[in-house]
Amino acid sequence: MDDQGCPRCKTTKYRNPSLKLMVNVCGHTLCESCVDMLFVRGSGNCVQCDTPLRKSNFRVQLFEDPAIDKEVEIRKKVLKIYNKREFDFSTLKEYNDYLEQVEDIVFNLTNNVDVESTKQIMEQYQRDNRDVIQKNKAKLTREQEELEELLLLEQQDSEQRRLETLQEEQRQLQAKRKNKQALLDKLESSRLPAAVLLAQHKDRAAQLETQIEKQKQNVKPTNIFSTGIMIGQTVSLASVSRVEEVLYVYQPVYIDTYGPPVPELDHLGRQGYLNHVRTASPQDQAGGYTSGLACHRALQDAFSGLFPL
Amino acid sequence: MKLNIDGLLVYFPYDYIYPEQYSYMLELKRTLDAKGHGVLEMPSGTGKTISLLSLIVAYQKAYPLEVTKLVYCSRTVPEIEKVVEELRKLMDYYTKQTGAKNDFLALALSSRKNLCIHPEVSSLRFGKEVDGKCHSLTASYIRAQHHSNPSQPVCQFYEEFDSVGRQVPISPGIYNLDDLKDLGRRKGWCPYFLARYAILHANIVVYSYHYLLDPKIADVVSKELAKKSVVVFDEAHNIDNVCIDSMSVNITRRTLDRCQTNVETLQNTISKIKETDAAKLREEYRRLVEGLKEANVARETDIYLSNPVLPDEILQEAVPGSIRTAEHFVGFMKRFLEYLKARLRIHHVVQESAPQFLKDIFEKVCIDRKPLRFCAERLRSLLRTLEIADIADFSAITLISHFATLVSTYSKGFTIIIEPFEDKTPTIANPVLHFSCMDPSIAIKPVFGRFQSVIITSGTLSPLDIYPRILDFRPVTVASFTMTLARTCLCPLIVGRGNDQVAMTSKFETREDFAVIRNYGNLLLEMSAVVPDGIVAFFTSYIYMENIVASWYEQGILENIQRNKLIFIETQDAAETSMALEKYQEACENGRGAILLSVARGKVSEGIDFVHHFGRAVIMFGVPYVYTQSRILKARLEYLREQFQIRENDFLTFDAMRHAAQCVGRVIRGKTDYGLMIFADKRYARADKRGKLPRWIQEHLTDGSLNLTIDETVQLSKHFLRQMAQPFRQEDQLGLSLLTLEQLQSEDMLQKIAQIAHQA
Repeated sequence: MDDQGCPRCKTTKYRNPSLKLMVNVCGHTLCESCVDMLFVRGSGNCVQCDTPLRKSNFRVQLFEDPAIDKEVEIRKKVLKIYNKREFDFSTLKEYNDYLEQVEDIVFNLTNNVDVESTKQIMEQYQRDNRDVIQKNKAKLTREQEELEELLLLEQQDSEQRRLETLQEEQRQLQAKRKNKQALLDKLESSRLPAAVLLAQHKDRAAQLETQIEKQKQNVKPTNIFSTGIMIGQTVSLASVSRVEEVLYVYQPVYIDTYGPPVPELDHLGRQGYLNHVRTASPQDQAGGYTSGLACHRALQDAFSGLFPL
Repeated sequence: MKLNIDGLLVYFPYDYIYPEQYSYMLELKRTLDAKGHGVLEMPSGTGKTISLLSLIVAYQKAYPLEVTKLVYCSRTVPEIEKVVEELRKLMDYYTKQTGAKNDFLALALSSRKNLCIHPEVSSLRFGKEVDGKCHSLTASYIRAQHHSNPSQPVCQFYEEFDSVGRQVPISPGIYNLDDLKDLGRRKGWCPYFLARYAILHANIVVYSYHYLLDPKIADVVSKELAKKSVVVFDEAHNIDNVCIDSMSVNITRRTLDRCQTNVETLQNTISKIKETDAAKLREEYRRLVEGLKEANVARETDIYLSNPVLPDEILQEAVPGSIRTAEHFVGFMKRFLEYLKARLRIHHVVQESAPQFLKDIFEKVCIDRKPLRFCAERLRSLLRTLEIADIADFSAITLISHFATLVSTYSKGFTIIIEPFEDKTPTIANPVLHFSCMDPSIAIKPVFGRFQSVIITSGTLSPLDIYPRILDFRPVTVASFTMTLARTCLCPLIVGRGNDQVAMTSKFETREDFAVIRNYGNLLLEMSAVVPDGIVAFFTSYIYMENIVASWYEQGILENIQRNKLIFIETQDAAETSMALEKYQEACENGRGAILLSVARGKVSEGIDFVHHFGRAVIMFGVPYVYTQSRILKARLEYLREQFQIRENDFLTFDAMRHAAQCVGRVIRGKTDYGLMIFADKRYARADKRGKLPRWIQEHLTDGSLNLTIDETVQLSKHFLRQMAQPFRQEDQLGLSLLTLEQLQSEDMLQKIAQIAHQA
């Protein structure tokens, strides 16, 4: 780190520990004072590659290799446009191809390969996928969501722990205060000699102390192994005996109707039953309803009402 | 002898058996029957290894379809060799008894460094160099190049193995590392790859923990092991730390710099290849578009160990489009690297969770979570495509890619701590990013999930209930066995005060106290006068040891001690330490007597045994608590409380006591051995500490041996040592702590044995 320095004024970190290096979009470093001097007017050209730069685009260099700073900058920009998620693709393979394409673009832009055509591709893409980009802007990827969730959980846990210890301390403090108050009251009202009272108080205080100590030591016991088996529960080690049984076979229900058989569902239309019921509206049919169903059920009801005399 | 363990015929290669070995085998058999996991504690020196081996081998022979393989994990190479020797004894016994030819294949596996026989490669000193060199001779594209260009060097041993070695199965037998090397030399095959191939059909595999627990290695070596294997973790008291270490990543500024050069090399190689052989990159690209199918096919049948670094979902999906081409990926790595560099450039400590880190990285450099997850796999593919021979050079970027994958995969159980400087040197900037795993169950979960029985065993696993909790598994058997002794050959004493009645403790407030240091010195001085041969003293840390020894020198204590015994000191340098150890043993051997000053959690406390006269007394100065101010430890403690409901103090004490028990356990390595165990800290006398010692030590801790002064300690020690110095014959043990077959089968002995197993 110490050998890093400004390429223009040749100051190094070693000589000036407070040296601040800055990077702009082209990936070339300059120290803060050089930036201030060269870009007094807010814009100018890079000393090394002559790219036109703005002063406001200078960032503090985070990494040792300024190329990485540049790449990350570019990557962030590209990812703003290429923000499709895994579920925007039908197969994993397509998603992977897409990821590779993104990677290619970033690679080209950082290494100055076909910059113009790459930029064109990006613009084209942006025009084509405006909706998706807008939509995905607010969304996190699934993995990020998971991470957020984990972090939240962790935070809650530590918060709860903190609260618990706080409460515990409070309780102890209160108990101690109460004890002291009790002593004062006793001294005020009791007829016993003060020495005895003091001794009693000392005793009680010691008791309290040990109690607190005990509580501290007490970790909430668990009655469950991490495998989900209760402690103390005996688990049979013999393998479960295999029960040989005949496989279940579905048999259609047979209902004796004491009369003519119920017409089949498929035949209702042909036999003219459907003419007497309300035809299903398109809204009904959308849910899978047909007028045949209701008609068939009504017929079944009717036929099962027959009894032999 | 032949034993009947619950209806199973077990061949035991010795004429006598300890009662606890018998009950250990009973428990083990039950665990295997239930196809569940077990936690078994038995004191060191009572023959755990042979009990384990003989029972599981017998089980394998009796039910070849139920248990197909035994995977025995140990810690160090010497320990692995010891296991193989025991196994050899057992197998010899089998052939002698049954007369049938041995049809078992058992082998040890270690790193290339220990197995390589290539004259050039094996002469390299460091494991990483050997791996890298080996890779540069055996990688598939190197060998392909060799076909067209014979001057390209390849490893002839690997070539030979590859052409014929796979067809001919390795003949049954017991192979330790040297046997494998011999076999390799005889046949001209590479022993390392031979062993790696052979573990697939071997009946018994002995190797180090890392081959199962470290996801990077496990994926290469152990993923094809059958489900019906029994896995044994021996000396497993530190298993949680091994798990954690295997999943944690530390990134320093140097790592990043090396990574930077790696990225540049990659970039150059890519542009070079693009000019010469663009088809290769296109081929890789095409493969990536179709997804990591290759790897997926291999996993389809679900016979592989799942890899926590490489979650299954990754294998089912294609690599995200943003890192599909090589240039884009390199650009991606560059951005990630620069981001990390920027993060390391801070002036205050930052601690954050994985989701926070991911959110920040998206805001700063627009890196999504998904490509991060694929990072490790994508890098591996790229390195393969670019035909980079020396992988060792790329360790930095591989590390970073592992970090990327881990941080994006696990939202819980990990924490990121960035420290701008070390605590000891706040003025020197030395930024480190710790990505530390707090949940050992993540690394070990695949092992429990995959194998039908996993046995965790050690001499010190107390308290037993904590291991299932922190490793998150449900054992079917949890048992602790004690040593049955014909004579009380261990004598634990807790020394709490000096002769001047000043409390002895290594508590932070008093550790600089002059009186405490003097009392510690007096204790060592007095003991050096009464104890014969070797004494091992353990301190809580290197710094503490240095401080104390320095003031002992000033007070002249050291000089007085040296009249009785020589003093050796363990240092952080491994070579120096092994030198000191050697000389220590020499001094004990020739009767001069010696004291070894060492550190709990150090090399000596973990792996070195002090049998018989090498250690007649251990003195534990202070309670070896871990450094509690470290942020990583704090984060882990918090996690343990939240997730597993284990209190901070409980865990710290548990950790300290298991190390203390490890240290003092060094002295007793068998039933004929004897030794003093001196705990020099008054805090050991408290019930919460004492209760966490292993049961076999606790049993001998009477109320009379708590909170002693130095004088009393000397008195008790003298008495104990005089008793122990009496001749001790095997007949004295027989029938009590050592049984013949007849004695074992007698009614009341069986009853006694039933009582030994302590159901925790």
